[in-house]
Amino acid sequence: MITTPGKFGRRRWVVLGIGLLFFLCAKDLGLTPAGLIPPDETRWERTGEFFKAALSPAFDYEDANVPDDADPIWIKGLKGVFLTLKFAFGAMSLAIPAALVMGFFGSSSWWPEPRGRLLAALLNAIYFSTRFLMSLLRSIHELIWALLILSAFGVSPLAGMIALALPFSGTLGKVFSELIDEETREAANALRAIGHRPVQTFLVGTLPAALPNLITYSFYRFECALRSSAVLGFVGIETIGLYIELSHEEFYYREVWTYFYLLLALIIVVDFWGAGIRKRLNSNSGGCRT
Amino acid sequence: MSSAFQLNGVTCRFRDLVAVDGVSLSIDEGEQVAFIGPSGSGKTTLIRVLNTTLLPDEGELSILGEPVADHGVAALRLLRARIGTMPQHLGLVENLTAIQNVILGRGGTRSTLRSVRDLLLPDSADAEKIHQLLDRVGIEDKLYTQVAKLSGGQKQRVAIARALFQEPEILLADEPVSAVDPARARDTVKLLTELSGEHGFTLCVSLHHVELAKEFFPRLIGLRAGKIVFDSAPDSLTQSELDGLYELSDEEMMTDA
Repeated sequence: MITTPGKFGRRRWVVLGIGLLFFLCAKDLGLTPAGLIPPDETRWERTGEFFKAALSPAFDYEDANVPDDADPIWIKGLKGVFLTLKFAFGAMSLAIPAALVMGFFGSSSWWPEPRGRLLAALLNAIYFSTRFLMSLLRSIHELIWALLILSAFGVSPLAGMIALALPFSGTLGKVFSELIDEETREAANALRAIGHRPVQTFLVGTLPAALPNLITYSFYRFECALRSSAVLGFVGIETIGLYIELSHEEFYYREVWTYFYLLLALIIVVDFWGAGIRKRLNSNSGGCRT
Repeated sequence: MSSAFQLNGVTCRFRDLVAVDGVSLSIDEGEQVAFIGPSGSGKTTLIRVLNTTLLPDEGELSILGEPVADHGVAALRLLRARIGTMPQHLGLVENLTAIQNVILGRGGTRSTLRSVRDLLLPDSADAEKIHQLLDRVGIEDKLYTQVAKLSGGQKQRVAIARALFQEPEILLADEPVSAVDPARARDTVKLLTELSGEHGFTLCVSLHHVELAKEFFPRLIGLRAGKIVFDSAPDSLTQSELDGLYELSDEEMMTDA
């Protein structure tokens, strides 16, 4: 490829501009390298303690007031991990059907051909309002959704699940609609040529063809939902994040690390599981076996 | 004998390009016709006109005795369900199994819900019929194999079986042998003409391969730059007519360079 001086020049200006923008932002925000240095001696100690605790996670509660008949800490941690998992699973179970519906209305591959002016206008209206709805849902972070919903309905598992499901359905729906529209139209055209209806073509041609990609992406989002569901513990939803938050408040750093490691183990297990599923889908060069 | 296709001055344009230029043609039911000509001669466009996925800009087109110009969306759909089409790239859903692809052949006459059910829980009668069809085209052991795992030749058989399951009155095939080796190409063309005889459907095939066309088809239609340059039986086809089909004109040489 020939690189013209003009092109090279523009690229250089872009890089320079981004660098400049960073410095302007840093200056505006008062960013200095000293920002990571703790302000006094006790903070230094605490930082040291926190990282030292990583080497000796708690096998028993650091809190002396925990009643004797309470679960051992690792059982409590495992329960927290399972709550996190259930929570993420529940949120995804709500988000995926919603995303499929929005993904359908936010894609154009099911549109009839040819279409009159009125029908085209109607389809465009559906398309753009669905895409707007999906943008709205995902432009607000799940933590903010949680704060909004929990303050309205109180702390309940369902409220937390919905808080997670809302932005996830927006992101899933957007990517679903794009994956569907990027699918090659060869099969769909072949089916339409022998008399299939547009929506019928979508359901039996385009959707099955896109399904392996949809499954792979959903699994990736499930991993994200796990991390988000842990974070929702910080606003009071009972997941592993809540235990981390409570122990951290009391400076029980070794307990914090016990929970961290259990969460890490969960993420690794799910990661391997997801990799296994992806591999199987790829080896079939698609999934969707019936 | 009634006619499968009746074209009168049919013209199709893509912006400035005239892909099919005033074609008049009549094909009777049960005929076996090969369209031959170099790439860009309008074969694919003509096939698309014949299956109504492309409507003529000018001229009259009747299919199976029905004037297409009068047809609304629903009538057009019903007409299409009577015409099988094998597109050049087959148009199979790669990650569905052979039986799932074949069963979709009848989707034009089935409801949307029925088609979804066909994919998930096929009727035993349909499954039996499809098994017979796959047996006829020589891949009976691939009933539940994912199409992506089949070879090019096997995929082609699935596409043929899908067309057969549709039970069409006409079968159109666009360059069915462009993606397979010569030995298999001959088998495929032979199979298509045999099936046309067995099932009695009209067969129109576009072919690059003049020799195959001459061997298997009683009627050859030569296309060049969207126009019919000959329409004759293979024996009465002269070498100069064939040469004329593929020889580049000065003007084409200019545009090619």
